[in-house]
Amino acid sequence: MSEYAVEIDHLTYRVKRAFTLEDLCLRIPAGSIYGFLGPNGSGKTTTIRLVLGLLRPAAGAISVLGHAIPAEAPRALKRIGYVPEAPHLDPTLSVSEAIWFHSRFYPSWDAAWAERLREAFELDPVRPFGRLSKGQKGKLMMLLALAQRPDLLVLDEPTDGLDPVVRRDMLGALLDYVAQHEATVFISSHLIHELERICDWVGVMDGGRLVADVGMERFKTGMKRLRVAHGPHDTAALPFRVLTRSPDNGSGTESWLVRDWAPEMASALAAAGGDLQQVIDLDLEEGFVELLRSFRGPAREPAHV
Amino acid sequence: MFEKLDPRSPTPLYAQIAERLRTAIVTRELTPAEALPSVRQLAATLRVNPATVVQAYRELEAEGFVEMRQGMGTYVREVSPGQRGAERERQATELVRRMLADAARLGLSVRDVTAAFERELGEQVR
Repeated sequence: MSEYAVEIDHLTYRVKRAFTLEDLCLRIPAGSIYGFLGPNGSGKTTTIRLVLGLLRPAAGAISVLGHAIPAEAPRALKRIGYVPEAPHLDPTLSVSEAIWFHSRFYPSWDAAWAERLREAFELDPVRPFGRLSKGQKGKLMMLLALAQRPDLLVLDEPTDGLDPVVRRDMLGALLDYVAQHEATVFISSHLIHELERICDWVGVMDGGRLVADVGMERFKTGMKRLRVAHGPHDTAALPFRVLTRSPDNGSGTESWLVRDWAPEMASALAAAGGDLQQVIDLDLEEGFVELLRSFRGPAREPAHV
Repeated sequence: MFEKLDPRSPTPLYAQIAERLRTAIVTRELTPAEALPSVRQLAATLRVNPATVVQAYRELEAEGFVEMRQGMGTYVREVSPGQRGAERERQATELVRRMLADAARLGLSVRDVTAAFERELGEQVR
């Protein structure tokens, strides 16, 4: 098996002239839980649909579980569980019919587990899909994706807009499966704190580009805000990267947003004449917001994270 | 045991989980030969990545607090008095460091802190 469950190389996609993915390269390590972040309209869902072979790229190559997409999409899709942003099933189909219907498509279907999940999720077998609550629909889609025992799970905002109890049930089932099966998970969400708990890798999209792609621990330990006095004008030689710098109000110090920071680098900053006054930790959400701001800011430096 | 797990903290989740278990082992909340929850169970309960739980268990194994038996699960090991003493000392040091760091942030001098400390100790003795 390849080192990567998903490999995207120099992918370009255009919708008329309005929206584009431009030269997108993205790798999802096999066995990882990859969190896909980005503001609305940044290209997350488009990327996901391209990965599933539902859209045709203008240029570039996509490989999923070793299959070329879209050419070999049918073979890849047998091994992919997909939870779409908006569940779409025939509203007249009952829960048990939907489960039966789905099971026909997947040779790896686990009927016993599907039944256990249905009970755990408290889904009434005779209730039609159209009369399920939003949370019940979400749980049914998660059940359908998991019971096919996929090697890759693609989840497009699976729990956004659902209540905490439903989210807990759905994520619990997902993690239970991952622990047994070592599947790869590709999950997009706006619920950053939820991703922060479960992901070991994060990719951040903005304006059709991947602006960050980094291991969670490195993202969290390396992204800091520094308060610096007498900071050197030229920061290129420092062992960490300065993404943005701005003066603090009236105090004569500057705020630096940096990545790849480690505590022992304070001496390198001191040697360059800088006086480090404070190191401020950022959680994933703050790091994400700061990163987008730095990437969009007027005086930006390209953030090759 | 895991109520205050904080995914937003700069301390990685695996280290937080390991720390909770270490404390439980040293204080005998978990007793020798007791089984830890399976990776699968704990990951689903805490809603964390199974790899995070594995990493925590590996760290505890490397430190000699638990034993991972292939395909059988993870078990608490007998902790020697020396090991327990060392762990308690480490925790006490951590506590003091955190307190001093907080004090520095509040602009308190070591003397302020020591005075408050002695006052509080006096209260407790009485």
